[in-house]
Amino acid sequence: MSIVPSAKSTGALYWPVQARRNIGVRSLFLVVLAFLIAYGVLFPGLFAASGFAKFTQSWFPLALVAMAQAILMLTGGISLAIGATVSLGAVIAATTMAGPFGVAGGAAAVALTGLGIGAATGFIVVKLRLPAIVVTLAGSFIIGGAALLILPRPGGAIPAWLSDLLAGDTPAAFVLLVVIVLLWKLYLATPLGLSLYAAGENPVGAYRSGVPVDAARVAAYAISGLLSTGAGLFVAAQTGSGDPVIGTAFTLNSIAAAVLGGIGFLGGQGTMRGALAGSLLLSLMISVMFFLGFTPVAQYVAQGLIIIGAVAIPQFRKV
Amino acid sequence: MTAWNDSAGGKRASAILKSRPFLTLAIVAAVWIVASFVSRGFGAYGHLRYLVELGAVIGLVAAGQTFVVIAGGIDLSVAAIVTVSAISLPLLSWQADPTGLVSILAVLVLTTIIGVINGLGVALLRVHPMIMTLAMATFLQGLLIIIAGGSAVTAENPLVHWLGNARPAGIPAGIILWIATSAVVLTVMHATPFGARIFAMGANPLAASLSGVPMTSTTLAVYGISGFTAGLAGVLVLGMNGQGYVGIGDPYLLASIAAVVLGGTSILGGLGTYAGTIPGAILLVTITALITVVNASPGWRSILFGSLILGLLLLSGREQARR
Amino acid sequence: MTTVAPLLAARGVSKAFFGNPVLRGVSIALQPGRVHALLGENGAGKSTLINLLSGALRPDGGEIEVDGRAVPRMTPALARQAGIAVVQQELSLTASLSIAENVGLGAYPKRFGLIDYKELAARAKAACALVGLNEPLSTPVGHLALGRRQMVEIAKALYRKPRVLILDEPTSSLSSTETKILTDLLERLRGEGIAILYISHRLNEVMALCQHVTVLKDGTCTADRSLVGTDATGLVRLMVGRDPGDLFPKWQPFVSTTTAISVRKFSAGLMRDVDLDIRAGEVLGIGGLVGQGQEDLLLGLYGAIPGRTASAVVNGISGLPGGVPKANALGLAYVPADRKREGLHLIHPILTNMMLPAFARLPALKLRSRKTERETGKSLAAQLAIKGDLQRPAQALSGGNQQKVALAKWMPHDPLVLLLNDPTRGVDVETKREIYLMLRTFAAAGKAVVLLSSDTSELVHLCDRVAVVREGRITATLERAALSEEAIVSAAMGAEKQKVAA
Repeated sequence: MSIVPSAKSTGALYWPVQARRNIGVRSLFLVVLAFLIAYGVLFPGLFAASGFAKFTQSWFPLALVAMAQAILMLTGGISLAIGATVSLGAVIAATTMAGPFGVAGGAAAVALTGLGIGAATGFIVVKLRLPAIVVTLAGSFIIGGAALLILPRPGGAIPAWLSDLLAGDTPAAFVLLVVIVLLWKLYLATPLGLSLYAAGENPVGAYRSGVPVDAARVAAYAISGLLSTGAGLFVAAQTGSGDPVIGTAFTLNSIAAAVLGGIGFLGGQGTMRGALAGSLLLSLMISVMFFLGFTPVAQYVAQGLIIIGAVAIPQFRKV
Repeated sequence: MTAWNDSAGGKRASAILKSRPFLTLAIVAAVWIVASFVSRGFGAYGHLRYLVELGAVIGLVAAGQTFVVIAGGIDLSVAAIVTVSAISLPLLSWQADPTGLVSILAVLVLTTIIGVINGLGVALLRVHPMIMTLAMATFLQGLLIIIAGGSAVTAENPLVHWLGNARPAGIPAGIILWIATSAVVLTVMHATPFGARIFAMGANPLAASLSGVPMTSTTLAVYGISGFTAGLAGVLVLGMNGQGYVGIGDPYLLASIAAVVLGGTSILGGLGTYAGTIPGAILLVTITALITVVNASPGWRSILFGSLILGLLLLSGREQARR
Repeated sequence: MTTVAPLLAARGVSKAFFGNPVLRGVSIALQPGRVHALLGENGAGKSTLINLLSGALRPDGGEIEVDGRAVPRMTPALARQAGIAVVQQELSLTASLSIAENVGLGAYPKRFGLIDYKELAARAKAACALVGLNEPLSTPVGHLALGRRQMVEIAKALYRKPRVLILDEPTSSLSSTETKILTDLLERLRGEGIAILYISHRLNEVMALCQHVTVLKDGTCTADRSLVGTDATGLVRLMVGRDPGDLFPKWQPFVSTTTAISVRKFSAGLMRDVDLDIRAGEVLGIGGLVGQGQEDLLLGLYGAIPGRTASAVVNGISGLPGGVPKANALGLAYVPADRKREGLHLIHPILTNMMLPAFARLPALKLRSRKTERETGKSLAAQLAIKGDLQRPAQALSGGNQQKVALAKWMPHDPLVLLLNDPTRGVDVETKREIYLMLRTFAAAGKAVVLLSSDTSELVHLCDRVAVVREGRITATLERAALSEEAIVSAAMGAEKQKVAA
C-alpha cells in the first residue's frame, strides 16, 4: 500500500479523470443515499458500532461478487460460475483453516484456487475463443462439483477468532472493503488495469494500438475468481462452517448488482464504483423492504421490477 | 492462404455441425451399450424407458430454450415458469372440469403470457434477454410464494395424473407427449417460414429486419413458445411427482441450456436444431443415471457434467469464433 | 527522384480474401519528407494496402520493407516499433476513457508500474496542442463530436512520435477549420522529415498537400508518379483509368409516365424537409459526400428508421410505410451498403439468404416447400450467374457474388421500387457491369430504381437524374443533360447553388 500516495500525487490529470467518471453514476449515488437515509431512519442502530458492523457484513459478500461480475462485464465477458466459485471458496476455507497450515495457509489456498480457476476460465474463453456464457455455465458444474467433493454436506470449521474478527462486532468487513477498493484503484492505475476498458469496448482498435487485449481479459477472469473465492471465505466465516451450495444465489445477484450499477453487457460501459453502488442498493433494498414490513413476495416483485426499470429507463432516455 | 483456410474451416465446421445431433445420439447409444454391460440393471427396457421419461421434462423445457437461443437470446426464467405451472395447476381446478383439461389449458395460457411478457421486455424495452428473464424469474419467485405459501400442493387433476403415470401401449404418456411436441417443434423450426425467420434473426438481426422479418412479433412468439413449453414441462413434472412445491423447477434451468448446447446449437444464435437437443436431454439424464449406478458422488457427477459440456464445446469451437 | 531509402515500402504485394484478389503486385515507397497520396475508388484496395503496411494483415505475396530491409513477418507491434502510426477510418478510441487516456493508450508512461498521469498529461497535451484539441484532457472521448474524435485519433498517432504517418481519409468528418489545422500540421511534419501517406477523396486537398501519388484501380497500381504537372481532371482520369463508356449500358431516353414515390417535407435521421419525386421507369441517383444523410433518406423511405412527412404517396397508397414489412408489401425493396453486416446472413446457406424475404412475408406457419425453394434459387442463380452449390454458406462467396445474392433475394417479389445503397462498393468490374445492366433492365421494365452511390462516374453514366444531398437537404437535382462529374461534385461541395436544368 506504500505506493498509493504516489499514485494519488500524479498531478492535475488523475483526479479530474476520476471526477468525470462520477458523473455517470451521480443519480445512482443519490438513489443509494435515499435508501441509506431511509434505512437509517427505520433502523437507527445503523449508526451504532454493532449496527454498522452487521450492515456492512451483510453487504460485503454481495459487494465482492458484484465487483467480480463487473470486472468481467467491463471486458465484454460474463460469468455464470460466480455462485459456485463462492461455494468453493467457502468449503476450502472451512476445511483448511482448522488444519495444520492454519488460517494463513487456508487463506492462501482460497486465494490461489480463485486465481487459478479464474485464469483457467479466462484462458478457455479468451485463447480458445469460446463463448463466456457457456464456458462459465459448464464451469459452474465443475466448480460446484469440486465444492461437493471437498465437503459433501455442510461442515468443516472456521476458527472462532476469525469468525469473531470478520463477522463479529467489528468493522473488519468495512475496512476490508475499503482496502479492496483501494487495491482496485491501484490496479486500474496500471496500464494492464486501464486496458480493461479498451479491451472491452473496442478490442480491435485496442489491439491495433498495442494494448495487450488477451492478457487484460485473462487477468480480469483471474481477479474475478479471486474476489469470488474471497467472498466465499467471508461467508464461511459468517456461518462458522462451510456449505457446498451456499453461494448459489450470488450468480444472479452479482449480475443484478452490476447491471443496477450501470455496467453494460457489451463491454467497456460502466464503472466499478457504479457496480459497488449497485450492490449496496440491492443490499439496502432487501433490508429496507424488510423493515417496512414488505412480505417476501412484495420484496421479490419489487426487486424484479426495479431491475427491469433500471435497465429499461436509460434505453428510453437515449431514444 | 487465409481465404483457403477459412473456407475449408467453414465447410468443416458446418460438417461437424450437421452431424452434431447424430454425434450426440451416437454418444448416448455408446453410453447405453457400455453401461448395460457394466451394470446389469442399466440396459433393461424399463430402466431405459425411465431415463427417456426423465429426459422428457428436460426436453420440453429445452424445446422453448432452443427456439430462444437460436433467435439469439437466452431464457433464464424457465425454471421459475416450470414451478409456476406445477404449483398453480393444483390450485386451478373447477367443478365443471372433470377431466382437468380446462385447468391445464388455463395454466399453459398463463405461462405463455409470462413468456410473451419476457418478449415484450426484450423487443420493446430492449432489455438484455439475460436481465429481462432473470428479473422475471425473481418476480415469479415472489408470485410463487403468494400462490403456494411455501408448502407443497397436491395435484388432484386426473389428466395430470394420467400424464405422469399412464403407459398406453407400454409407453409412458410423458414420452408420448414429448414425441408429439418434438414433431411439432421440428416442423415449426425447419419447415415453416416462422422457423426460418428465427434463424435469420439469431444470425444477423439487422439484416433480418432489413429483409422484412417482423422482429417484434417474432421475438414475442419465441419467448411465448419458451413459456409454453416450460409450462408443459411443469404439468408433466407435477404428474410424475404428484406434488408441486417451490423449487421443483430449479434443476431445469441449467439442464435446458446444457441440453441445447450439447445438441450443437450455437449459444450465439442463428445455428442449431432441436434434433440435437433431444439426444442432448437424454444424454444429460443418462449421465446422471450412470453416475448414480457407478455410485459416483454428487460432486463427481457435477464435475463430469461440466467437463462433458466443455469437452464438446471444444470440439465445435471453430464455429463459435464467427463474431 | 530521391536516392534515400524509403522509410516504408511495399514491393509487389498481393492479397486475396476468400480467393478473391484484392491487391495484385502493388508497390509503393514512402520517402521521408514527402506527402504521398494514395488514390482509388472504393474497393480499389486502399484499406488493404494500409493494413499490409501496418502489419494488420500479412501479404500473400511480395514484401514489406522498412528502411530498405525486408520484414518477413510484419505485425502491428513491429510496425509500432518501426515508428509507423496509422490513423484508421474506423476509430480505435474507447468512449469511456478520457482524451489523455486514449491518446496514450498502449504506450502509457509508467512509474513504479503505475501509469504516470503527470507525464501522460504533459505528453498528451503536447500531442493535442499540435492538432488544436483544447478540450480538457479529462473529457471522456464519448462526449466529443465525431470530428473532434478524429482529432483525438490523430493526436494519438502523433503521441508516438512517428517516422511514418498513414492517414486514411482523415478529413471526411472534419470541419473546414479542422481540415486547415491538419493540413498545416502535415506541412510542418513533412518539413521535419516524416513520411506521410495520405488517403482522401477530396482532390483539392490532395492537389494542395501532396507531392507524389499512387493510384490503385481494381487492385493494381495504375500510376506512381509525381503530382507536379498534374491537375484534378488528370487525377480523375488516373483513378477511372478507362473509357467509362464500355462499363455502362447504353443510356436511352425514357418518358416518365407515373410517379412511384412522392414525398413532401420528408424528414428522417439527418434528412430535413426533403421534397422528392421518384418516377417509375427511371434510375434516380443520390449523390453527395459521405454521411450527408443520403442513407437516412433511403432508410426513411423504407420504414427502417422513423420518418416524418407532410404528405407521401408510395405506389398509389398515401402515407409512409412506417415499417419494413409494410414497405415490402408496398413493393419497396432495399439493398444495404454493408452486405456483411446488413445485407446477408453469412453463416447461412446462399439459398436461405435468397429466400429470406419470402420467409418474411409468407404466412408464418405455412409449410415450406424445399423443392420450390431449390427451383427458385436455381433460377435466380442462373439469372445472375452465381455459380456453385447453393447450400454453401454465403461467406464462401466473393464480394461481388455476395452483392448479387443481396440483390437476387428481392427478385422473386417483383419490387416496384428498388432502393440501393452503394451496391457496387468493393465489387469487381465484371460484377459491376452485370449489376448496371440489371438496374437498367429493371428500370426499362417500368420499375423505379433509386441508386445511392459514392462512385460519381456511376451516377453520371447510369442515372436518368441525380439528386445531390448536402447537410441533410437535396441541394440540386440534375437532369440527364446536365449530368457531369464536375456538376455533381460541385453541388456536393456546395461550391455554388447549382443551376438546375429543367
